[in-house]
Amino acid sequence: MRQAALFCAAATAVLSACREAPRCPSDWCGTAVLVSSEPGVLLPPVTETDADFWITEMLFSKLAELGPGLNTVGDAGFVPELAESWTWENPTTLRFTLNPQARWHDGRPVTAQDVAFTFEVYRDSLVNASARPVLEQIASVTAADARTAVFRFRRSYPEAFFDAAYQMWILPQHILDTVPRGRFSSHPFGRSPTGSGPFRFKAWVTGQHIELAGDSSYFLGRPGLRRVLWRFIPDMAAGVTQLVAGEADGAQALVTPELLERLRGAPQLNLTPFVLSAYAYIGFNLRAPGRRDSPHPLFSDRDLRRAVAMSVDRDAVVRAVLGELGDVPSGPFAPWLWIARESPPPLPFDTAAANAALDSLGWRRGAGDLRVRNGRRLEFDLLVPTSSGLRRRAAVIVQEHLKRVGISMQITEMDFNAMIDRAAAGRFDAAFLSWVSDPSPRSIRQTWSTAGFAGSNYARYDNPTFDRLTDQAVGAQDRARAAALWHQAMSVINADAPAIWIYAPRPVLAAHRRFLDADIRPDLWTALLWKWRVNPDALIERDLVVVP
Amino acid sequence: MLGFLARRLGAAALVAFGVATITFFLIHLAPGSPLAGSGENPYVSAEALEQMRRNFALDRPLHIQYFRYLTNLARGDWGMSFTMHRPVLDALRDAVPNTLLLATAALILDFLLGTAIGTLQGMRAGSRFDRACSAVTLTLYSVPTFWFGLVLVLVFGQELGWLPVSGVVDPALYPSRSVLGKLTDRAAHLILPALTLGLIGAAATARYQRAAMLEVVRQDFIRTARAKGLAETAVALHALRNAILPTITLLGLALPMLLSGAVLVETVFAWPGMGRLAVEAIQRRDYPVVTGAAILAALAVVAGNLVADVLTRLADPRTRDPT
Repeated sequence: MRQAALFCAAATAVLSACREAPRCPSDWCGTAVLVSSEPGVLLPPVTETDADFWITEMLFSKLAELGPGLNTVGDAGFVPELAESWTWENPTTLRFTLNPQARWHDGRPVTAQDVAFTFEVYRDSLVNASARPVLEQIASVTAADARTAVFRFRRSYPEAFFDAAYQMWILPQHILDTVPRGRFSSHPFGRSPTGSGPFRFKAWVTGQHIELAGDSSYFLGRPGLRRVLWRFIPDMAAGVTQLVAGEADGAQALVTPELLERLRGAPQLNLTPFVLSAYAYIGFNLRAPGRRDSPHPLFSDRDLRRAVAMSVDRDAVVRAVLGELGDVPSGPFAPWLWIARESPPPLPFDTAAANAALDSLGWRRGAGDLRVRNGRRLEFDLLVPTSSGLRRRAAVIVQEHLKRVGISMQITEMDFNAMIDRAAAGRFDAAFLSWVSDPSPRSIRQTWSTAGFAGSNYARYDNPTFDRLTDQAVGAQDRARAAALWHQAMSVINADAPAIWIYAPRPVLAAHRRFLDADIRPDLWTALLWKWRVNPDALIERDLVVVP
Repeated sequence: MLGFLARRLGAAALVAFGVATITFFLIHLAPGSPLAGSGENPYVSAEALEQMRRNFALDRPLHIQYFRYLTNLARGDWGMSFTMHRPVLDALRDAVPNTLLLATAALILDFLLGTAIGTLQGMRAGSRFDRACSAVTLTLYSVPTFWFGLVLVLVFGQELGWLPVSGVVDPALYPSRSVLGKLTDRAAHLILPALTLGLIGAAATARYQRAAMLEVVRQDFIRTARAKGLAETAVALHALRNAILPTITLLGLALPMLLSGAVLVETVFAWPGMGRLAVEAIQRRDYPVVTGAAILAALAVVAGNLVADVLTRLADPRTRDPT
């Protein structure tokens, strides 16, 4: 009996040793199954959601891409993509020379006419491209010849190159020039696009997945992966389940500590935290709720806002809500933005100073240890979206911190859309909002300058000094000078405390260990995905499937 | 029977109109706008938001939007999704087959298992088998559907690795499989969500069926059947024929519930069905999709009741027209 058992064990060991790892049947293998929400449309001018951007980046090309330093001032550090080179004829004329190898996925060459056509489309009000406003400093784009596109700017400004190269994915004129501009977003091209990027579109099965195939003739070199499948998930918990169960290979996951633990339990996954371009903040309404012409009874008082801001231990909030996967922002921007380095810190957590300030403002402790002034309790309402578990948890901790200094904060959880509606109409005391930066600090003005009153400056923060400094920073030709101006502007806004910058989440890139060179770029994590490849000694069954 | 069907179809049209009207106004009057999501997006300017509002005709008065919607609906145009940039009918057409597949599998499991267990319990009321089944069905009936789904995922998907945990097929391997392989793949993906819905449904059905059987087995004709010496199986079949009517009514109600109400299960298993489509549309305030999904769900309710009525007529001769 014992001999039989030993024989079986030995036979099993020999068979295991003899079983070879799967080998690639051709010279190119590798499938990545990535998870995301379902995109709305894959047509660059009208892309809007994260998933739209992630997948569009793999299908289409820009003239040049951001380099590893993510610089947006001048053209230093930009990496050639469709344009193999560029020259400045004068401070307002930029000439791009296209890569002669660049091809659309239907085999037609990418031409300067495509570039000029793309600019026309992006600027057309009927198309309503989200990037249209940032292109208004470009006066024209013309094709000098088939390979030369000439950009003329209305004036010289530091981020002119960034706008020309980064804001537009180039579109195929030969396919789209007959599409009525008013029907651009609903044209079938948006669900079956032809691009010039490293991956070709293969299929979109609604509600299930999108399949992309590596383009072996991609002009910058064959992508490392032969196939990429995007599986659609309804929420991140379901996505984590797929990753842990091995049904998916990768995702950019904005996770809670609990989900992170589940991911850590999957030995096949590599987890790489990185800095996201988002931050969350509690914005105070500086105007009376629902009446823009009157000051807010509490938050129009700068000293009171400062006292509230100093009462919140943001480090503790971040530790409790995000654990190691979060940072305390030093201003209204993501920590990876180039102005973040040496940016002045916001008001410190200092309950002694907060209590002293509240006392000096006449807010005295009353019944229940809450502060009262002239019979009015120091209390306000915070809007929190039910869709954000992180913000809901953070709000409860902030509520506790404020209670310690005698401030009562009621939390009103509501549907995200309803909350934004109320914030936009000014019907709130404070709101727990978030903002996603693009690689340029210019977008700060959209939320915090008076120009943002028509946009996302829900707090109605209004400081002419801040406006002037940010205007000057945007116009500064020199990056060091621009950084200095941005830092001055940050000092102003931090001192005014129109908001408390609560956290900047650091998502995790979860990727299967068999992937090599799995690098990411923080502004758009799929930008370098075409360089990912599979370890040939660690192939699994789905890597061997060869798409025609 | 034909007259009966014609009356019910006419009623269905009226129900669809009523639901379209109520849903249209409710979703438009609910706080929040389809464009709110763009409010936290740096790539979307205020100018672009205004243009989107015009493109979606949201700048028009509500009654104008309503009449336009109804006119288009009468022409068979269900509108264009705000978020998916495609016709609503196409989106529904993609989602309905998946939901039907899941609902059919779950219903079969629900009613076959539930009726069988309930019938056996009714025939052996008070036995150890009855008490054990009652405990199990009551427990299952009390369990939240999404929690039960997560447990199945954890056990059979994550720990044992026997079954896939999400989707309709494995998109990475499905195209390369044989016909049999494709069928197996689909079936494997169907098992966990169908079990989640079907077992919990079966628990409820079993309890109804048991109660109905208890009513019937006490009646004189059963006593007579037993006194005549009929085998217990034959007695059970006699009883079942009479006790099945409430369960058939339940079937009529369960069908629309499964079509539109399997939202949590579709979320847990990333199943691309109607429930998930509707919930995501509500979250994004995609008005045309929400209204379209509501109309379809209302039609499902009408159809479910119609099926139940027809089945009742077939099962119970007393409900048929005397002619």
